[in-house]
Amino acid sequence: MQSNSKVLLINHEKCTGCRLCEQVCAVRHHGASNPSRSRIRVMKWEMEGLYVPVSCQQCQDAPCLNGCPVSAISRNEALNRVEVDYDLCIGCRTCVSVCPFGAMHYNAIDRQVAKCDLCEGDPQCVRFCDVKAIEYTDGGDVSIEKKRAAALRLSTVKKQAMALEQHTA
Amino acid sequence: MAREENQLTGAESLQQTRTFGKVRCHNPSCMERIVPEPGADHAKCATCGMEFRIFWVNPKLPRIRGPVWDVNRKIAQDRFKEVTEAKLKAAEKKGGK
Amino acid sequence: MALDRKIAYINLTTGDIEIKPIPMEVRKKFLGGRGLDAYLLYNHTKKGCDPLGPDNALIISGGILCATLASATARTHVMAKSPLTGLLGSCNMGGFFAPEMAWAGFHHLVIKGKAKKPSYIYINNGNIEIRDAANIWGKTVTDTQWAIHDELNDKEVKSLVIGPAGENLVAFANVMTGVKNAGGRTGMGAVMGSKNLKAVSCRGTMDVKIAHPVEALEYNKKFIEQITGAKVSQTQGTLGTPFIWGATNSWGGVRTENFRYNQLEYADDIEPERIDEIATETMGPYHMAGCFGCQVHCRAQYKIPSGKYKGKYDEGPEYTSQGAFGAEVGCRSAETVLAGNHLVDQFGMDNLETGSIISWAMECFEEGLITKDQTDGIDLRFGNDEAVLEMIERICYRKGWLGDVLAKGGIPASKDIGKNSFDYLIQVKGMNNLHSDERATPALALNIATSSRGSDHLRSRPAIDLYHLPEKVLRKIYSTPVPYDGPLSSEHTEYVGKPWQVFWQENCYMAVDSLGICKYHTTFLGATLPNFENWPKVLYLNTGIEMTPEEIWQVARRNNMIERMFNLREGATRNDPEKGDVLNHRYHDEPCKRGAIDVIGRYIIKEKFDKMVDEFYEHKGLDKNGIPKKSTLKELGLENEPSHLL
Repeated sequence: MQSNSKVLLINHEKCTGCRLCEQVCAVRHHGASNPSRSRIRVMKWEMEGLYVPVSCQQCQDAPCLNGCPVSAISRNEALNRVEVDYDLCIGCRTCVSVCPFGAMHYNAIDRQVAKCDLCEGDPQCVRFCDVKAIEYTDGGDVSIEKKRAAALRLSTVKKQAMALEQHTA
Repeated sequence: MAREENQLTGAESLQQTRTFGKVRCHNPSCMERIVPEPGADHAKCATCGMEFRIFWVNPKLPRIRGPVWDVNRKIAQDRFKEVTEAKLKAAEKKGGK
Repeated sequence: MALDRKIAYINLTTGDIEIKPIPMEVRKKFLGGRGLDAYLLYNHTKKGCDPLGPDNALIISGGILCATLASATARTHVMAKSPLTGLLGSCNMGGFFAPEMAWAGFHHLVIKGKAKKPSYIYINNGNIEIRDAANIWGKTVTDTQWAIHDELNDKEVKSLVIGPAGENLVAFANVMTGVKNAGGRTGMGAVMGSKNLKAVSCRGTMDVKIAHPVEALEYNKKFIEQITGAKVSQTQGTLGTPFIWGATNSWGGVRTENFRYNQLEYADDIEPERIDEIATETMGPYHMAGCFGCQVHCRAQYKIPSGKYKGKYDEGPEYTSQGAFGAEVGCRSAETVLAGNHLVDQFGMDNLETGSIISWAMECFEEGLITKDQTDGIDLRFGNDEAVLEMIERICYRKGWLGDVLAKGGIPASKDIGKNSFDYLIQVKGMNNLHSDERATPALALNIATSSRGSDHLRSRPAIDLYHLPEKVLRKIYSTPVPYDGPLSSEHTEYVGKPWQVFWQENCYMAVDSLGICKYHTTFLGATLPNFENWPKVLYLNTGIEMTPEEIWQVARRNNMIERMFNLREGATRNDPEKGDVLNHRYHDEPCKRGAIDVIGRYIIKEKFDKMVDEFYEHKGLDKNGIPKKSTLKELGLENEPSHLL
């Protein structure tokens, strides 16, 4: 296993919508409770009971990185993240407009763009999420749990089909 | 601050007295611990005889789902009869109605 | 800083808005939330004011810790004089409203007057605007919120709203936020409706600065672990609050058929586990939701599985709905509980009061006190599921003679129905009891009889009294932060020591309501959850205020005393059957017929009960009539009320 391959894995089905991730993110980075300064946000469709945390995907071919006119955005291989160098950043918000997830946002209080920095390897959103809707996990195995769930579904359907066959035979 | 860093509060110290895998009988004069077999869906109180259906919140945490109705209802009805009769007798002794 | 959040005075008649800071002196005296609301209510209303008139003050707040890192700092509190009881009106709800109000710059709103036409208040980063609500008037609770989203073109706006019940001045209408977070009891929704106020909407992006952020983050982790580590929190996070109803019904502490029985037999279909199955079937395995910042996540999501309302989404039900639309009305159908819960959520009315008043009407019907003509032909017998759902709607829209009468609340309705209908009404101070039957539990009976907002389980209930905790453990809990060396008993059927437990819990719940934390995060359902000893630290790390556990206890005592002073001012006396600290005679006269062996035959012994009240008064510093002694008022710094500090 490579040491630098960890990624933030969000399973929105588990999310309870409590927004503690937003709160601890803002406190960790800004010393204040203020979701508008959080780098992770929970989007909600309340009448469907659907809550989806949205954060930076640390894309391999990152549009923000590609689009930055002053090369202020770079990939940090040690932490497997895309990061902003604020000494170079000119605050043009090109990255905000090109991010397909809305994960790069503009913080009106600091007048700066902001994105998830994985809290230098100890993401607080993960630490505080008791239901594990957000995990910090090895990139190579991100889909293993999905594979398991899909396999179970498949085998259940197969069993049902067999039972039906026997029943109708 | 009134409290030393490493000193536990009352509530914190009580965490150490937690027991797992047990429920308490729902009968107030009994309240004995009942230890259901792991995964069992019902359990009987060895002390007072009431029977309960069990639900497992997690493998270590059982809870009483409800009474075994037929059993506990019978116990309850017998008891009510007993209580009512005792009351009548007591009233008779006093010479009241 | 939490401490720079402001108070706004909004006059809906004149449109005047005044914004003030909240001085430190006031914070230290009352903290915030419910406690400061009580102070404001006492100061901003006059004796005898009409609850539905423009002079009543509607006060909306978040606690002092609102939106900070203290776990579930989500609670919104609303206070006014109650149209249901004519005494203290007060409700407290979860969700996301109060934190949004804090990010928008405010902790307290005092709303007076009456708008000329339907209106709503919009607060955005320190600005307050009164807007026209013509297009949203008449809408349900959720539709109102989404209509406001559309109108303001902002889906992050959080609103506190009333539904049709509030508009129709149903005496137990709620204020609501989200799908089901309800400020229930005492009819605060009707007060909003009387002011032509459909909603208060907030949007904020202002920092609530944390005094010591690094330490607060670390301590919060520990604090949360203390909460989620409790067995009760794990059960609650799996089954929601219905788990309480399940356990209570199992031993025989659930009011059934109004007050005829104390257990609903063969209630399998409305047991928490069954309701959880329905939630799983309709919403999948991860169907629990949480309020702001809370890791207990006790709010289930569900869709109604069958019947007229099949497929409708809602949240809950809380254990109160199992009582209200299950045992009290003698129904055993999950569908009725879930549909009833959905209707009251959409209409914005109190599920407890609604279920309780319908079950009372059912008993009156069966006893011949209400005729079939008066019900418009409805066969209002216990166990008639359809009649229950029909009556919910009739009460909300005040349809038919009975619907209109019941919408006035229990005591006025008993006067309209007449005869001895009042004898059947399970109320204290004009507010009906929830579904619990306290005949086997003297401590809980004392709690509902003396609670400041009428028969209520959330003001002073020593729920852990039911756990048979060893005396040693009880002593550990109940002798901090102030010493207590009187008797304590593990037996929940006993009378000794209970007044102190009720007094202690009253202060505990007042503290938690003034801090703005959820009650499920303190010594309510679990003995290992945080209380006075833990709060100074969260208070200090988040706000910088240094207070000892004893000081927080004193604030709680002071705040509770103001609530009592308000009730006394509005005419409460100890033995008044309509406004006093007394129970319905049936608690004393009718023994329990069902449940666990040793519950059967139990009732509250009047003489012992009266002694408990005496002792409770002594702990509080009241005389035999329940009136505060001069020395108590002096000790609490309340000898010059109203003092108009704010």
